[in-house]
Amino acid sequence: MIFERRFLLGALVVAILFPLLGWSEYVIHVGVLIMFAIMLATGFNLIVGYVGEFSLGHTAFLGIGAYTAALLSSSLGMPIYFNIVAAAVIAAIAGLFIGAVTLRLRGPFFVIVTLCFAEVLRIVANNWVSVTNGPMGIAGIVKPEWMAQQSALQQKVDFYYIGLALVVICVYFAYRFVYSFLGRAVVTIRENRFVAQSVGIWPYYYSLLAFVVASAMAGVAGAFYAHYVSYVGPEVFGFPFMISMIIMVLLGGKGTLLGPVIGPVIVVLLEEYLRDFKDLRFSIFGLVIIVVVLFLPQGLMGFVAARREQYARK
Amino acid sequence: MDFLLQLLANGLVNGTFYALSALGLTLIFGLMRVVNFAHGELYMVGGLIGWALTELLGANFFLALLIVVIATGAAGYLIDRWLIERVRNQGPETGILLTIGISIFLTNTALLIVGTVPHKVLSPFANKPLFLGPVVVTQSRLSIVAICAVLMIAVHLLIKHTTLGRAMRATVQDAMAASLVGIRTERIHGFTFALGTALASAAGSLLGSIYVTQPTIGGLVSLKAFVVVILGGLGSFAGAIIGGLLLGVTEALWGGYFATGYVDAIGFALVIVMLLVRPYGLFSVKSERA
Repeated sequence: MIFERRFLLGALVVAILFPLLGWSEYVIHVGVLIMFAIMLATGFNLIVGYVGEFSLGHTAFLGIGAYTAALLSSSLGMPIYFNIVAAAVIAAIAGLFIGAVTLRLRGPFFVIVTLCFAEVLRIVANNWVSVTNGPMGIAGIVKPEWMAQQSALQQKVDFYYIGLALVVICVYFAYRFVYSFLGRAVVTIRENRFVAQSVGIWPYYYSLLAFVVASAMAGVAGAFYAHYVSYVGPEVFGFPFMISMIIMVLLGGKGTLLGPVIGPVIVVLLEEYLRDFKDLRFSIFGLVIIVVVLFLPQGLMGFVAARREQYARK
Repeated sequence: MDFLLQLLANGLVNGTFYALSALGLTLIFGLMRVVNFAHGELYMVGGLIGWALTELLGANFFLALLIVVIATGAAGYLIDRWLIERVRNQGPETGILLTIGISIFLTNTALLIVGTVPHKVLSPFANKPLFLGPVVVTQSRLSIVAICAVLMIAVHLLIKHTTLGRAMRATVQDAMAASLVGIRTERIHGFTFALGTALASAAGSLLGSIYVTQPTIGGLVSLKAFVVVILGGLGSFAGAIIGGLLLGVTEALWGGYFATGYVDAIGFALVIVMLLVRPYGLFSVKSERA
């Protein structure tokens, strides 16, 4: 716990100082992508790592958040702060609804049904042309006013700090969640559902709570993404986002707080680095997943934790 | 009335195809407790090999089908023994992740090799329409339906009435007891996965002669197969067939009388409704609740 807190604070200092080193626009852009990915991974980890159910439909909430922000911004001209909060609330409500239906199931049933929900939303976004503009998506989401006069680099730096602030909020929430009775209850459910019930933990209720928090985080990430890219299309519900979320959490280490912070950094950098290999990189990604599952089942942080325990015993 | 009959016929034909493409998935879950997310990609591989053999090498359709079944069956056996075996008994999600990794690898490697152009398997069946009373069905579709039926019966007999099938069922019921009576459970797992893989790719090359196959089709096939097996009950053989027919007919009716844009959403809507009414499908093998 102390290690985690120190690590997170250290990482925060590094992240704050990072843009001051005079990087190019591209490097800052990668930084923004990392911030976006950490938000997503942190939320997703609450479900996969703590509740211990494997959701394949987390993009549903990413997409709902992104569309909420896009619609509020393009049709009502709402500012970014309002949109992010609204996206979080709407995604949380959707999470409450979808979670209430899906969390009655477990194992493979839960996996497939969450996937179904994301897929239904993608089809709706594709076909409900009058609201979502169909496959064309919603373009021209306005950037905040104060950015109008700034250079492209400065705009990216601003987005970087907005993203960092949101990441801090998300990780702080996750931290408080994990180290409260809620987090411990959820971990008990993950480890042994029957024991949890026998000591008075209601699995459905606590799982649902974690699910709603995770949905809200994905909604925030979606709104941030919508404003940064200033375009939202049905592909935000698509499976590629889900795959990168899975790889990030898995590689970093599910069920740890640091995993979803480290995982996205590695994955986003790797993704940018592998750009040279063009199409081959996705094949490599598939192999990376296979190798991680086989040889690093607990992820990097799980590996580190096991090593630390070994040292402590010596 | 004729329109309704035609829609029903279309639905039943499509439903049979859905059932066939979901069979491998339900088999692997029912007999191994592995949710195979690479199912659609195995289907795609079968379709592409079928295309390469018939179109590029000019092989006979049935010979190509036989080669596909043997080649992918062998590949499936190796995938199980080399990869899935290592994560057995580690809970469902490691298996899911592993097969997702395999599916990403297969899709993108196939994309690298054959590109994005859709391909079609050459079949000996003519695309001639047949008139059965008021209903029109093409000859090729009807022939494929017949082959589907034969395949399903063959697999059913294999599982229920052969030593290998009995060993497969014993292994999933109690692996420990099975190995005590001399069943080599590891090999049996390998054979089960090989059977599922061969079925998926056989479906791919059969249906590849009617629809087109392209590397990115796997995701869609997997999704439809999931819908079918959830409707019928994961792991149930009869359930996959009923689920497939149900999905085919519902889609056909919806597409005929209402909007065509949302046809793909119907299956998912059915699944969600099913979930509220009967959480583990029509013919669930085992209901788990806590």
